[in-house]
Amino acid sequence: MNRPTTVAVTGLTVRHRRTVALDALDLSLTPGVHGLLGPNGAGKTSLIRVLATVAAPSAGRVELLGRDAARPADRTAIRRRLGYLPQEFGYYPGFTVREFVAYVAWLKEVPSERIPAAVERAVERVGLGGRIDARMRSLSGGMVRRAGIAQALVNEPDLLLLDEPTAGLDPEQRVEFRALLREVGERSTVVVSTHLVEDVAAACAEVTLVEAGRLAWRGTTAALTALGTDGEATGSATSPIERGYTSALRAHRERVGAAR
Amino acid sequence: MTAAWHVTDALALRYATGAAPEPDAWSVEKHVESCGPCAARVSAAVRTGPAGPALAALRTDLLNSVAPLPPAAREPDAVPAGRGPVAVLGRGARLWWAVGPALRGPWLAAVALVLTAAFALAHGAGVAGARGWLLAVSPLLPVAGVAVSYGRHADPLYEITAATPVGGLRLLLTRTAAVLALCLPVLTAGGALLPPVAGLPGAAAWLLPGLALTLGVLALGSFTGCRAAALTLGGGWLLAVAGPLLGGAGAAALAPYFSGPATQGAWAAAAVVCGGLLALRRRSFDHLEPR
Repeated sequence: MNRPTTVAVTGLTVRHRRTVALDALDLSLTPGVHGLLGPNGAGKTSLIRVLATVAAPSAGRVELLGRDAARPADRTAIRRRLGYLPQEFGYYPGFTVREFVAYVAWLKEVPSERIPAAVERAVERVGLGGRIDARMRSLSGGMVRRAGIAQALVNEPDLLLLDEPTAGLDPEQRVEFRALLREVGERSTVVVSTHLVEDVAAACAEVTLVEAGRLAWRGTTAALTALGTDGEATGSATSPIERGYTSALRAHRERVGAAR
Repeated sequence: MTAAWHVTDALALRYATGAAPEPDAWSVEKHVESCGPCAARVSAAVRTGPAGPALAALRTDLLNSVAPLPPAAREPDAVPAGRGPVAVLGRGARLWWAVGPALRGPWLAAVALVLTAAFALAHGAGVAGARGWLLAVSPLLPVAGVAVSYGRHADPLYEITAATPVGGLRLLLTRTAAVLALCLPVLTAGGALLPPVAGLPGAAAWLLPGLALTLGVLALGSFTGCRAAALTLGGGWLLAVAGPLLGGAGAAALAPYFSGPATQGAWAAAAVVCGGLLALRRRSFDHLEPR
């Protein structure tokens, strides 16, 4: 099956004052669920922010859903088809879940006659249907995060970007959430940034490993697991995919070290 | 079609007591699926009918069986009338959202406080220059309103809004317009009701300085972020008016900032320049503001 490239990034560089967050990164993604793995500070959030069009790259070309993210008219068109859950986000405490999600639907220019049904569906999908008219301030941390996922889903996005979405979810909710990701990934491109390797193992078909602003490894989840099954058991890493993650990272560091 | 047919009270009663013939009962059941008023009428009849006690007992049992859940999990928070699913899309609700955080928060209280203080000074304490004080403070209020409306420090939803087509400058201008729409008329009318101060112009004299400062915050904010811009320009204005106000010459010493066509013309020119700069810098609001 020939799947269209929905994310095409070439030479992407992001600098924050004097530090380099992303260093000439190339990446292309097709519909499906993609895990974005890497140690803290590897540049995952910087990459997600550029893909969400909220941060401008210092250099490089970013093409999303077939449009150029640097062109204002294209950017607006991309944003209508985008869902984004930032790593940290706030809410208006007096809003109900319904109002919060409907507000974001309005910001995303969902036609107003479609908003009520779209809101209910998005909230239902994250399992908050019973609390749809509860005030945001009355929700627990895990529920707030699920409301955040609902706002990202409300416009049925073609490109869904989730930065650390499982933080604050309990194990059962995490299982349900992974099922939701797989369902959305059947027609949309989903990028999930996480530092939890088991999230990737359960929900993602493909993995992109980022380290110090560079692409360290790319492949299917099965290939990463295979990498760990072949290698020797390393320290505290218990599952094959964790061992695969560690050995892919180590191999990348050796390559970078040898190149210097 | 049977659109005009409805369940009569008598039929509802017969249905509730089980006395209705079967074809009638079927009609009732089919009809109440699509007719709210008749459904309510039939429910009421059933509740007061012979099945009532059994239904009530069932309801009590059901509520008892879910009682171990915390109350919040059982019932959604009370939703005030008119804020339910329908009102979510009403024009009023959309306007309420569009105005952003400022008009829902302490900023509104600050506007009220300034006005109250001005009237208390004039009528309670008998201070002759109250109108001058209000004139001097008024331009700060829209500046503060912009500062608490937009940006990473003011809007908890900021990063989410930044990834939407409406976010950025469009949202900032909508919220600024809401702030101005509230404080321009209210503060001007408040000033007009205070006793005039000799040597100072009318209550409307702050409008152009206020507009110029507000546009200045937006233009400077395109470089620095709105909060830093508001602090800079608001602080500058405060320093500029503090001298004359506290200098002993009385509120009339503010005249150089407000009086005369040349001064007002300069404010108008400043507003135009800031507006032009904002137009040139409009694309800077497409991305997150600098930290």
